Amino acid sequence: MDIFTTFDIAASGLKAQTTRLNTISSNLANAETTSTPEGGPYKKKSVVFQTEKLPFKQHLDQSMQPRGGVQGVKVARIIEDTSPPQRIYDPSHPDAKADGYVEMPNVSTVKEMVDMMSATRSYEANTTTIKSAKRMAMKALEIGR
Amino acid sequence: MDPIQSLTPALTRPATTGPAAVSQAENSFGDILKNMVAETNQSQQTADQAMQQLHSGGEKNLHGAMISMEKADISMRYMIQVRNKAIEAYQEIMRMQV
Repeated sequence: MDIFTTFDIAASGLKAQTTRLNTISSNLANAETTSTPEGGPYKKKSVVFQTEKLPFKQHLDQSMQPRGGVQGVKVARIIEDTSPPQRIYDPSHPDAKADGYVEMPNVSTVKEMVDMMSATRSYEANTTTIKSAKRMAMKALEIGR
Repeated sequence: MDPIQSLTPALTRPATTGPAAVSQAENSFGDILKNMVAETNQSQQTADQAMQQLHSGGEKNLHGAMISMEKADISMRYMIQVRNKAIEAYQEIMRMQV
């Protein structure tokens, strides 16, 4: 049913935004992490979105229609920011280099907060899509009354 | 535009084939109703499973459970509307004076 396609697409958006929020929370939690198992400070992570192929049945339904297929979204991969770490002078720190500088993560807390607001708003937009799809379905059912 | 075009041949077909088509349509309505009940039941079960998985901390996430519940809700309401219409039509026929 077409209304359920809206649901599925919006659900893919919700899932993608949840993953995005996960990476943001990881960045914020590790904003001060100076050592990782791979060595060096924590590196900022961000998500890359990609259009998602729907399950075969829906894909078939859509290709039967003359209009172009609608697509969901998915997180293609999570990338690491390779920009250089911040260097702070603190010789007493256990992770300090020989010259007394500590490499701090390249995470900007302010940028992460802005990104988080954007993720929240996108999530809300997707839930609003679901709500309107539901409202439309309810209106359609009212025809019979 | 497209749904109207695709509906027109389906609507004209029973009229041209006569009484045999009527009995066939009767059967197919029962089948449709049966399928609908089965599908609604299926979506209710999916919603149930999603809720259980959410409670037991499985892979399913919160919005997934909510969405399958909404799907179950809409299917249920749709089925109820179809049932209401069918019963309404039946009662209308029963009231008919012969």
